[in-house]
Amino acid sequence: METSPIIIEDDAKTTNPVVSIDLTHSPVSKPKQTVDDMVVDSPYYSVKRTVTSIGGTRVSTTQKIKKEEAEEGTDLCYSKAKKPRMLSENDAEYVDYVKKEVVDGSEGEPVCRDSLSTRELLESCARYVDSVKEVFDGFEPVIDAEPISVYKSEEIESKPLTGISSNTLRASLKQEGSLQKEYDTVIDHKPKSVKPEKMDYEEAEQSKPLTGISSNTLRAPIKAEGSVLEGSVKKEYDVMDQKPKLVKPISSVPPHSGYNGLGLNKKGSGYNGSGLSKKGERVVEDRKVSMEGIEIGDFEEEVDWLLVGRTAITGLSTTKGRKLEDNEIVHFAFPNGEVRSKSGYWANSRGGSAACGIVRFSTKRSGEIGRLPMEWSKCLIPLVNSKKVKVLGRCVAAPPNLSMMQEIMLYISFYIHHSIFTEDGNCSWKLDSPSNIDTTIYPLLTLFKLLKKSPFQKAEFTPEELDSRKRAVTLENDLNEAASVLPSAKGRKPLLIEPNKDAQVLTESSLNKLVGAADMYNLEEMDPPTTLTCDLRPYQKQALFWMTESEKGVDVEKAEETLHPCWAAYRICDERATAIYVNIFSGEATTKFPKATQMARGGILADAMGLGKTVMTISLILARPHKGIGENENELIEDNRSHERNISRRPQGGTLIVCPMALLSQWKDELETHSSPDSISVFVHYGGDRSTDPKVISEPTVVLTTYGVLSASYKSFGENSIFQKVDWYRVVLDEAHTIKSSRSQGAQAAFALSSYYRWCLTGTPLQNNLEDLYSLLCFLHVEPWCNWAWWNKLIQKPYDNGDKRGLKLVKAILRPLMLRRTKDTKDKEGRPILVLPPTDIQIIECEQSEAEHDFYDALFKRSKVQFDQFVAQGKVLHNYANILELLLRLRQCCNHPFLVMSRGDSQQFTDLNKLARRFLDNNLDSSAPNPSKAYIQEVVNDIKNGENTECPICLESADDPVLTPCAHRMCRECLLSSWRSLSHGLCPICRQDLRKTDLITCPSDSKFRVDVEKNWKESSKVLKLLECLDNIRKKGCGEKSIVFSQWTSFLDLLEIPLKRRNIGFLRFDGSLSQKNREKTLKEFSETTDKMVLLMSLKAGGVGLNLTAASNVFLLDPWWNPAVEEQAIMRIHRIGQKRTVCVRRFIVKDTVEERMQQVQARKQRMIAGALTDEEVRSARLEELKMLFR
Amino acid sequence: MANSNLPRRIIKETQRLLSEPAPGISASPSEDNMRYFNVMILGPTQSPYEGGVFKLELFLPEEYPMAAPKVRFLTKIYHPNIDKLGRICLDILKDKWSPALQIRTVLLSIQALLSAPNPDDPLSENIAKHWKSNEAEAVETAKEWTRLYASGA
Repeated sequence: METSPIIIEDDAKTTNPVVSIDLTHSPVSKPKQTVDDMVVDSPYYSVKRTVTSIGGTRVSTTQKIKKEEAEEGTDLCYSKAKKPRMLSENDAEYVDYVKKEVVDGSEGEPVCRDSLSTRELLESCARYVDSVKEVFDGFEPVIDAEPISVYKSEEIESKPLTGISSNTLRASLKQEGSLQKEYDTVIDHKPKSVKPEKMDYEEAEQSKPLTGISSNTLRAPIKAEGSVLEGSVKKEYDVMDQKPKLVKPISSVPPHSGYNGLGLNKKGSGYNGSGLSKKGERVVEDRKVSMEGIEIGDFEEEVDWLLVGRTAITGLSTTKGRKLEDNEIVHFAFPNGEVRSKSGYWANSRGGSAACGIVRFSTKRSGEIGRLPMEWSKCLIPLVNSKKVKVLGRCVAAPPNLSMMQEIMLYISFYIHHSIFTEDGNCSWKLDSPSNIDTTIYPLLTLFKLLKKSPFQKAEFTPEELDSRKRAVTLENDLNEAASVLPSAKGRKPLLIEPNKDAQVLTESSLNKLVGAADMYNLEEMDPPTTLTCDLRPYQKQALFWMTESEKGVDVEKAEETLHPCWAAYRICDERATAIYVNIFSGEATTKFPKATQMARGGILADAMGLGKTVMTISLILARPHKGIGENENELIEDNRSHERNISRRPQGGTLIVCPMALLSQWKDELETHSSPDSISVFVHYGGDRSTDPKVISEPTVVLTTYGVLSASYKSFGENSIFQKVDWYRVVLDEAHTIKSSRSQGAQAAFALSSYYRWCLTGTPLQNNLEDLYSLLCFLHVEPWCNWAWWNKLIQKPYDNGDKRGLKLVKAILRPLMLRRTKDTKDKEGRPILVLPPTDIQIIECEQSEAEHDFYDALFKRSKVQFDQFVAQGKVLHNYANILELLLRLRQCCNHPFLVMSRGDSQQFTDLNKLARRFLDNNLDSSAPNPSKAYIQEVVNDIKNGENTECPICLESADDPVLTPCAHRMCRECLLSSWRSLSHGLCPICRQDLRKTDLITCPSDSKFRVDVEKNWKESSKVLKLLECLDNIRKKGCGEKSIVFSQWTSFLDLLEIPLKRRNIGFLRFDGSLSQKNREKTLKEFSETTDKMVLLMSLKAGGVGLNLTAASNVFLLDPWWNPAVEEQAIMRIHRIGQKRTVCVRRFIVKDTVEERMQQVQARKQRMIAGALTDEEVRSARLEELKMLFR
Repeated sequence: MANSNLPRRIIKETQRLLSEPAPGISASPSEDNMRYFNVMILGPTQSPYEGGVFKLELFLPEEYPMAAPKVRFLTKIYHPNIDKLGRICLDILKDKWSPALQIRTVLLSIQALLSAPNPDDPLSENIAKHWKSNEAEAVETAKEWTRLYASGA
C-alpha cells in the first residue's frame, strides 16, 4: 500500500484500510444488484467494487485493475481516452485518475475525468462553475449505477484491494447525452430557500456501515498534462495553503450549523457535534479501531423516520492529514440557507454562493473531513433544511492518509420524516408553495432520482415529458386532427369571421374531436327517483348514474384503483411504508393511495344540445336532495370543514343553480313540472327585493339565480355575499361556459362558492379556445389544473406551441370528469341514444333575375375595383373592416337589392337634382343665412359623384349622411347624438340652430321604405322562400316554419310579401324584451294561424326550444357554420316529432356561393398549424377567393 | 384597460396629430392611457410668450367627442385667462364645445389665446386687473415668467 506523500500530522496509526464491515442488520436479499445490497455480509470481507455505468456496463474489478496497473505502471493515472471534461461534478476537486477496464462493455469508452485545475483557479471561477453545475445536478446521477457489490471474502481475500473512484464514470458519454434532455428542467432547479437547521447528530442510524475499499495504489499524484497541478506534491501543498480562502465564507455560517468549516486549523475542534449521542452505537470491530473517539456503529431505527434508501456517495476530502476510519460515522453540515438570502453580499462575494451550496462532513474526532459532490448537495440541502429528511452516513472507504481532494467513499442512508405523509390523503408536503412551479422537479423527486428509485407506477404525465420539446411524441391520429380544430394562440383570431366575438367558433364535430365524446355509453343506468314525474331515456338514466356516482366519489371508470394521473408511486426501503406517492407536480407526498377520484366531486355534464341536461340535473337533485350534510357525506364533509365549522356554523344550503337570465323561468317551470308536488322547494333569487339573509336561501331545496345576480352580489360583498355565506350542498352552473373567462367577476364569484358538489352543464365546454376549459376546472377545483401556472405551463403553452401533448393531457383530465354524448352517440346495442326525427338538409340555389344580376354585377365590379386597389397597395388587412363592409353589401344584395339601395348607392336614390331642388326649396323659406348657391352646387356634385366626405364628428366616411340646411354633411347618428334635445340642436360646424325636420337625408332611409312599399319587387331569394312557404301551407298539415336571417332589415323587407300574401307571422329579434320573447315563443308554439317565425340568427340566445316548428329556412349563409348548426339545433331536439327540413338559400354565381367554399376550406384548414404570417396570407387568400 | 375601447375617432385624430402636427404644437398620447396627451405649445411670436415652451396636459373624457377635452397648462404662465392651476378660460372648452372640433383645433385655439389675451373674460382676476391697468407692465411680467418657467424646459 502506497502511502500518500502527504505528511500525516497526527501520529495516529494508519489503519489498514482493509475493510471493516458491520453485518448486523444486513438485509441482503439480492446479493449483488441494487444499491441496498452494498451492505455486506460479514466483517472483514474484502470488497470488490463493480462499477456499472448507466448503460449497464460493468466497469471494473479489482483484479483487472491490478492487471492494468502492472501493464501500465504509473501511467495508470492518466486517462486513456482523454476526453476533456471541464466541468466535473465538483469544483476544485483533486482528481484521481483511474484506469478501468470495461468488462463487458460495449459502451465501454473508458471514461475519465481529466479536468484538473487548482483549487484556486476554480475558486475564482466558483460562481461560473456553480452556475454550470446546475446543469449537472440534474444528471441521471452518477450513482445511478449500482456501484458496489460485495463478494464473498474467499473469492477476493488474496487480492490486493483497490479502490476505484466512482467518479470515473461520471463523464460517460451517455450522460452527456442525457444532459441535453434534462437541461430544461434542471436549469430551473434552484435550491429552495433553506431554513437554518442543525443537523441532528443524535439520530442513530439503523443502517449498517459499509465497507469500501480504499486503495491508494491507483491514486497517483496528479500529472495530467496541461494541468496546473502537474503532479507536483509541492503544488498540492500550495493548494492547501489557499484553502482558508475558500472556506472563509463558511465560517460565517451561524455556529449552529454544526461546523465552522475551517478544518485546517481547527482540526478536531471545529466540529460542534454537541450532544452527540452514542446510544445504540456499537463497536463492531475493535481490532482496527483502536483509537479513542472513533465513532462507528449502527444507526438506530426510529419510529418517526422512514428509510428511503441508501447509496454510496463519493465525497471529496477538504483537509489533509485527518484521520478517518472505515466505518466511521460522518456527520453532515448543511449550509444555512438564510445566510444566502439574508445578504446579497453573500451572493456576490467570491465563492459565496458556491460555499453556501456545499454540504460538508466531519467526524466526531477529527472535525471536517470533506464535502459532498455538488449534485447531492443541491438536492439535499433543501430537503434537510425542511426538517423532513435526514441523512446519516459513514465512511466506507477511508484512505489511510487524507489528502486534499481525495475521494472518500461514504455510504449514506436517507430518511424521511413520517409527518410528510398525512393520514387522510389530504396530505401536503410542499417545500414551498408551488408559486414557482418552474421547479418542476422537487427535491424529493430528485432524491429518488439520485437514489435511482424509479416509480413502480408512473404518473400519467410528468412535467418533464410535457416540458421537453425535444421528445418527439407520436400520437394517435385523432389527436393530430384535434389539434387542428382549435386555432392556436398564434392563429387564434378566427379566420374571416365578422367582428362578432360571441359567435361560436367550434362546430360540434370539432368539439368532439377535441374533448372526446361518449366513450362511456356502457354506463349503468340508474332508475330515477319516484319523485321525478317524467320518464328518463336510457342515456339520461346513465347520466343520472354517472352523476350520482361522481358525487359519491366513486368513479365509474374504477378510478378507485386508478392512480391519480399526477402522482407517481415509489417504493422505499422501510418496511413500514410499502409505497409512497409523490405528486410530481406539486411535490406533495403521501402514503395513502391517491385515487383518481380525489380530484373533484362533481364534473362537467357536456352532453350536446338537446339531450336534456336540465332533466338529468333535475333527476340528480331529486335523487340526492340532501341539504347540507347527508349521511354518506358526513365523513367527507368532516374532512373538509371541520375546522371551519368549529369557528362558525354557516347555513347549510341545498342546491344552487346559476343560469343565464333567459333560462330562469324555464328552470323553474321544469323543476316544478318534473317533480312530484312537495318533493322539493324551489326559490328564485332574482329581482328587486332580494333578501340578504343567507338563511332565506339556505332553506329551500333548490335556489335559482342568475350569473348577473351572483356576480353583482359578489362584487358588492365579496366573501360576505349571500351566496358565499352559505355552504351549499351542490352548485350547478347551467350554460357554464358563461364563466369561460376565468378573470371575470362572474367566474370569480362562482369559484368562491362553497359547495360539496360542483357541476357544470354546458353543451360547449370549449367555445373559442382551450382557456375556456381552464375556468371550468377552476370552478370544479380540479388539482392541479386550477392553478393557472400549471395549466399554462403544461397545457396552454404546449398547446399554443402546437405540441399535441397539451391536448392529450386535457383529454386525460376530462376523461373521468366529463360526460359528453351527442345525438350520434350509440348505446350498447349500437343504437343511437336518442332517436330524433331525421333532418333533411337541402341547399336551395336561387338564380338571379337579369335585373338583379345586373345590379349585383355593378356592385360587385365596384367593390372589386376597391378591393383590387387595397391589394395593389398591400393594405388589404389594414382595410379589413372596409372589405368586410364591401362583402356585406354584396351579401345583402344577394338577399334583396333593396337592402343595398338603402345605403344610398343606387341610381334610384341618387336622383340628386331632385335632392338639390328639395334642398334649395327648403332653404328658401329658411331665415338662416343661406349658403351660397355655388357651395350648394359643389356639395350636390360631390354627392352625385359618390364622394362621401368624412363626417366631421366620427371622422369616418359618413354612414347614413344627412345634409343640414347650412349644407354640412355628417352622419345622422353623430349629429343627433351631439344634440341635447331630440328635436333640435346646433350644427357642429357653424353652430346654426337646426331642427331635426330640416335635415335632408341623402339618400334617406325613410324614402327607401316608402319606395319599397310602393315598388315592392321580390328578389329571387324571396320568391323561392315564398314558394316554399306556400308549399308548406298547401300541404295543410300545420307545419310551422322558422326563417333565419342575420339582418333584421331583411326581416323587415320580408314582412311586406308575407303581409301581402296573408301569411301570418311572428317576429323574434334582439329588440324584443325578455318578457316579449317569452310571449312570442309561447304564441308561436300555440298559434294556429301564425305559422312563420322571422328570427334573427343571433337573437336566438341560448337554450331556446323551438320544436314547434319543423321547417328551417336559412336565408343567408353565415361565415361560421357552427352558428347555423346551432340554429338548427333549436328545432332539432327532444320533443321534435316531425322530420326537420332545413333549407339553405344560396344565390348562384355570387359571393354567397364562394362563401360556401370558404366555409368548407375553413373547416379543412389546419388552423393550429399556421403561423401568424400564414394565417394572414390565408385570410388574404380567402378574401381573394371571394372577389374572384 | 383604458385603451381597449378607444373610439376610432380618437385613434384617427391621434394618428393625424402625429403625422401632420400643427406648427408650434406637439401632442402625443401617453403610453398607458391613449386618452391622455402630453402637449407642448410654443409661445406665439410677437406675444409675451414668444420663446417659451409651454407644457400642457390634455385628457379626452369618456364622452368625447360629445364633451370637450380637458386641457390644463402645466407650465406656469402669466395670462389673464389662465389661472395659477393652469386652467384655461376658453369658450370652446366649455359651453361652445362642438363635436366637430378636434384636439388640433382646441390646441390651435389655445395657441391663439396666447397671442390674444382677453382680460375682459378673466379667469385670473389679479392678472386681468394688472393687464387692464398697466398692460405694458403685465406683458413684461408675462415675458419674465416665460423666461423663468417656460424656457429650456
